[in-house]
Amino acid sequence: MADERDPKVSRRYGELGAEEPPRALDQSILAAARRAVDQPHAPLVAPAGRHRWYFPLAAAAILVLAVAVTVQVERQQPDPEAVQTAPPAAPAAPMPVQEAAPKPPPKPVARPKAESPRVFAPDPVPRAKVEERVPAPPPAAVLERRESAGAAADAAASRAAAPSAPAAAKPAAAPMRSAPAQAARMAETPERELERIAELRRQERHAEADKALAEFRKRYPDYRISDAMLEKIGKK
Amino acid sequence: MEAPDEALMLAYRGGDAGAFETLYARHRSRLYRFVLRSVKSRATGEELFQEIWMRVIEARARYTPQARFTTWLYTIAHNHLVDHWRKRGLTLVALEGDEIAGNSPDPADHAAARQALSRFAAALEVLPALQREAFLLHEESGLSIKEIAAATGSNEEAAKSRLRYAMAKLKAAVDDG
Repeated sequence: MADERDPKVSRRYGELGAEEPPRALDQSILAAARRAVDQPHAPLVAPAGRHRWYFPLAAAAILVLAVAVTVQVERQQPDPEAVQTAPPAAPAAPMPVQEAAPKPPPKPVARPKAESPRVFAPDPVPRAKVEERVPAPPPAAVLERRESAGAAADAAASRAAAPSAPAAAKPAAAPMRSAPAQAARMAETPERELERIAELRRQERHAEADKALAEFRKRYPDYRISDAMLEKIGKK
Repeated sequence: MEAPDEALMLAYRGGDAGAFETLYARHRSRLYRFVLRSVKSRATGEELFQEIWMRVIEARARYTPQARFTTWLYTIAHNHLVDHWRKRGLTLVALEGDEIAGNSPDPADHAAARQALSRFAAALEVLPALQREAFLLHEESGLSIKEIAAATGSNEEAAKSRLRYAMAKLKAAVDDG
């Protein structure tokens, strides 16, 4: 190794003092290190006080919400027109229901659901995401879904969503984010993420940029950001 | 024979908390001083020091010994400090009077030694952040030019140049005394 040291400078630097970290700091860090290996999936900072109830409460709230939505859909008044044409055959045969859908626009949305009424396959796309993309279904489509795939599918979807809720809530020791958004962010490469932060800076959305940068540092603590990129993501 | 840092970090990754304790004991003092002399206040330095170790703990699962552990550790420290500098600017921890001990019993010599040391501290304080960092990484943490370049995300030429500038200014401060 090329040693650039100068003995005089080294001596003077040494005279500045040999500070040591305080004992309390040592103990705090070592305790955190032990906790991390004792409970591999627990957060480093154990929830305390009112935060202790955060995860169970969040899980319970999601569960209650899922049940409430299911019940609400169940109780919704059916479209009289659809009731007249569809009711008896609906549970067994989805075809008449399809015919009962009067207008063409809802058809493309409703068809895929009606075509696979009795076979339940977990939707790979999270429910929230589907709801974001597809506008709220018209009453006829709601009825159709209820009668074909029906409550069973809804209940199954709720059941499928419920156990994943605490798991999704776990990493939320950090700021709350929707699971799909987080998943999408996780899929980003560090470079793309930095570009995104740089873009936020360009738009002078500094608070968001700071937050994104802090998250980036957490996720990639040892990632070396080039000077050029540092210039872009730094506050002007 | 002592286990190398990289093996200790791998052992810690595998769940051996004792390995971390050894690793921490090896690096705590140097890293502490490196951080302390890169920021404005002692409290901030301690906070950053703790956060850097927390990042090490959190990143253990992703650790692979591609370079020396020391380089990895100071890369994390550098990244954390850059974030801090970006937010707040950079100054040194002020020298505390009773920490500066002169070797001479003569009060006049003692005062001169204090003055010389203060001059040196001031010279270190006014160094541009990257030059100061290069100096501290080399002097305090024992990193080579190549390792400084790796830890700070720059090339060897830049690292070498920063260190040379820093050394020249500090040497001038020493020679003045």
